[in-house]
Amino acid sequence: MRYYEALGLEPRLALDAGDLQKRFYDRSRQWHPDRFSTRPAAEQRTALEMTALINDAFRTLRDPAARAEYVLSENGLEASAQRGKDVPADLLEEVLELNMALEEADGAQVARSLGQFESMLAGVDGQLAGLFAAWDAAPSAGRLEPVRAALNRRKYIANLVRDARKTLETARET
Amino acid sequence: MAYSDKVLDHYNNPRNVGSLDKADQNVGTGIVGAPECGDVMKLQIKVNDATGIIDEAKFKTFGCGSAIASSSLATEWLKGKTVDEAMAIKNTDIVNELSLPPVKIHCSVLAEDAIKAAINDYKAKGSTRKPAAGVEA
Repeated sequence: MRYYEALGLEPRLALDAGDLQKRFYDRSRQWHPDRFSTRPAAEQRTALEMTALINDAFRTLRDPAARAEYVLSENGLEASAQRGKDVPADLLEEVLELNMALEEADGAQVARSLGQFESMLAGVDGQLAGLFAAWDAAPSAGRLEPVRAALNRRKYIANLVRDARKTLETARET
Repeated sequence: MAYSDKVLDHYNNPRNVGSLDKADQNVGTGIVGAPECGDVMKLQIKVNDATGIIDEAKFKTFGCGSAIASSSLATEWLKGKTVDEAMAIKNTDIVNELSLPPVKIHCSVLAEDAIKAAINDYKAKGSTRKPAAGVEA
């Protein structure tokens, strides 16, 4: 997987943020186009390409959800390939109920809902951390599928957090 | 990205927003979602037992403008159609009507999935549905 190779990493779902940043800085310095300004054109081009790749790799891998999406898409489990029927009906019903409650809620209720959504998000992130560790210990397709399911759920809950925050902000402005 | 006038019209004046009684034997409910954007769409139909025609259609969608417009348009089209005619609605019909750009085609797919899910739910209730007036069980 290119993003991992670009930063000299083994393909793991769980990464240490500090180590990742250090690798990013080291490699950015190593490939900085300024250092190639007197080199032949082909080398200058390589430095530019490497810098772009390193930037993309860091931007993707530093965010656990984006990192997992990357690993899933590299393994043929991208979100866009998931048709509606692959999302569990009870999750959709729950999300629909939560959205409707949010729509009708007053300020205090929205604030409470936001707290509820944030703790749900933290719960999914905790679950993801466990799934990351399981896949890292023994990578297999069977261990990626639960990651896909958890990320789908995370996306819905992250949207609820976003919408609840937006509702509160709008209420504050008016 | 610019939305077409038809998308904006449905987005600003959505038709048939609301809910039907899920427990009603003549109501079919479809709830579908697109995990890549976190959209969720509920579409319901109410079928007249005697005529087999969809009398009412309602939707509730939480998502982008195109998803709202696709489901709003779908409910407009569903009313007055038979269940079989409704089953024949294709996402490409919605794409053409709303001039959806390629990145928003999945919204129309979601609407087609919702129609099919609602019809399937209605049909699944068939075994417990009361027979039409005048027909002995």
